[in-house]
Amino acid sequence: MKKTVDVSIPIGPVHPCFKEPARVKCETRGEYVLSAECELGYMKKGIELIMRGRPWQEVMFLAERICGICSVIHNMVFIEALEKISDIPVPERGALLRVIVNELDRMQSHILANFSYCYTIEHETLGMYLLDIRESAMDELERITGARVTCAYIVPGGVRFDLRDEDAVHLRASLDIIERDMKRYIRMFEGGPLIALRSKDVGVLTKESAKEAHAVGPTARASGMPETDMRLHHPTYQKLNFKPVFRTEGDNFARIMVRFEEIMQSIDLIRRCLDMLRPGPIRGGGIPSAGETVYRGEAPRGELSYYLKTDDAGRIVDISVQTPSIMNIEACTHYMLKGVASLADVPSTFISADPCIACTER
Amino acid sequence: MSILQSFKNLVRSRSIHVAYVDVGSCNGCDIEVLACLAPRYDIEQYGIYVHNNPREADILLVIGAYTPGWEDKLQGLWEKIPDPKVAIAIGNCPISGCVFNRPHSYVNPPVSKHIPIAAQVPGCPPRPTEILQAVLSLAPEVFKDYERRKR
Amino acid sequence: MIGSIVSYIREFARREWIHKFFFAKTAPLTTPVYSRGFPELTGKTCTHALFCMMACPAPGAIEVIHLEDGGWEPRIHTGHCIRCGLCVEACPNGVLYSGRILESMFYDNTMLSFSFRIDVDTDRCMGCGNCAVACPVNKTIDAQMSHGGRASTDELLLKVSEGKCVVLHPEKCTGCKTCEQHCPNEAIRVARLLEAVHAPEEEL
Repeated sequence: MKKTVDVSIPIGPVHPCFKEPARVKCETRGEYVLSAECELGYMKKGIELIMRGRPWQEVMFLAERICGICSVIHNMVFIEALEKISDIPVPERGALLRVIVNELDRMQSHILANFSYCYTIEHETLGMYLLDIRESAMDELERITGARVTCAYIVPGGVRFDLRDEDAVHLRASLDIIERDMKRYIRMFEGGPLIALRSKDVGVLTKESAKEAHAVGPTARASGMPETDMRLHHPTYQKLNFKPVFRTEGDNFARIMVRFEEIMQSIDLIRRCLDMLRPGPIRGGGIPSAGETVYRGEAPRGELSYYLKTDDAGRIVDISVQTPSIMNIEACTHYMLKGVASLADVPSTFISADPCIACTER
Repeated sequence: MSILQSFKNLVRSRSIHVAYVDVGSCNGCDIEVLACLAPRYDIEQYGIYVHNNPREADILLVIGAYTPGWEDKLQGLWEKIPDPKVAIAIGNCPISGCVFNRPHSYVNPPVSKHIPIAAQVPGCPPRPTEILQAVLSLAPEVFKDYERRKR
Repeated sequence: MIGSIVSYIREFARREWIHKFFFAKTAPLTTPVYSRGFPELTGKTCTHALFCMMACPAPGAIEVIHLEDGGWEPRIHTGHCIRCGLCVEACPNGVLYSGRILESMFYDNTMLSFSFRIDVDTDRCMGCGNCAVACPVNKTIDAQMSHGGRASTDELLLKVSEGKCVVLHPEKCTGCKTCEQHCPNEAIRVARLLEAVHAPEEEL
């Protein structure tokens, strides 16, 4: 039977709601979206090709610039893959500092994602509140690492700079402020009746379709799949007794709430790390050796995996990156957007999966 | 004439609409432009509105190292912006290609080969304050004596 | 409906919000001291070790230029520099500074150390000796080498023996990669191994 399609509407590549260029093609009957498709290809830079034949000190910066929002986790996964190949030990203080910086980065990324969602459903007040509180997290990142976005903090065998005592005091104070304000914003988001109208039961991703689309990260955890969190397999997080948060509704509201709860969890994780910090060395040195490995880590958007092959002088021979957004975009366009009642919900549903186009295309 | 003109210049410099286009960056500069919206920096107090709509923009912030996907699109986007218009290159990517400008990469910097660039903000990524200062320094120049220049 | 009105009133009737509404000031547009800016000169003497250029991950960002009075000076090209601060950490003399990096290195007692490793692919090496003639370390050890002469001593870094290039003293390598550029067959490769370590205690 031939499918009757009224209009095919493209959204993007330059659209007020999208931070990055992507084109979503929607086939609609009236306002009802029958099917959607995401067209990529505006950001392909060929980073993996450039990375080949270079030593770690150059690839580290290229890996960081795969994605500017979640740069710390790209840095961390690449360096930890290198450490796994060459058996480089990491001192305990260095490992804890990595977790602190990684969780700060996750916080700012989640706040930014929730800001974009609030902006897309035209709740600008909450969006601006979130952007304001994000600056506190960015300040702490800058205070510890020296840069706001591309921190370049993690090196083989440890980290670059130590956390000073006065910075630790400042970090705790900022965490208190973020926790106090974030509780209020979560209450606003949960209690707002207009937000509920725009987000509850919109863009539902059931557990079965999440499995079918291989959704990862908060998108999967909002559909009731806590085991997708790769932090469960990380040794430092295991020491911190990490338990992933999850919800079972699978709609836009659940995805945003999972991010809010992960922000609170990150605050808790950073506090526990600060309690566990003992004075000691922060880096141990170590030169990469030849080998081949696959290493996975949990980016703010989901599971990030690096396939890495080095030669005996520590140069990268082959590298292949799988970023979380490609699966989430797939899940978003094929399952969530199908059956969205109104075209106005298409950008907000797309943003609720937090797609990162720079990651996806590299 | 001149009093009216200077009054116009003054008023128009406080009403600037900004669009940004990402032609293949790492996203770092995008979120720094977004951070300019934050109440900490508050770009809107200077009368600058980030709408991301080329049809009503005066200033175009170009971010990224010009990937092949934008070959024919960036020029079209630039022509859609009504006169007067300026473009600012944000970050290293549109200036030099940053770390991506290596053999075998797909990027084709600098962006000034494709559209005229009025100002540059170096840094990878630049801080929001630097972006803000660049936009603020260019804001009075966009509409200055526009009627006289048009004639 | 009533719930939403109550929630909005509760949101905006807070003392903190009202205070902010009337007395809020945007922060001044300043850069904090701990932010890594573009590297600047501290005024110490550059010894032309070129570790900054070797560590730099961005193409064309840093250049060490010869001054007219005979000294050397690193120069940063804005628009290429990504402000990572590796050059500041790699410099053995502390010629550059950026943000708090130099201060942190002193407090944490950290450093970046370079070591070099020369790999010769014996299947590809033709024994032409271009690398041994071009090598600037060889030239300082044995002046004859610069004229394409035969090696007179075993103290050299590189030497052609029995038709193949042999590395005699790899610890003398300065990582300039001149041999790599002069090899017609891509047989010799220099790896610059960067290691992030704590500085040994006696250096302080």
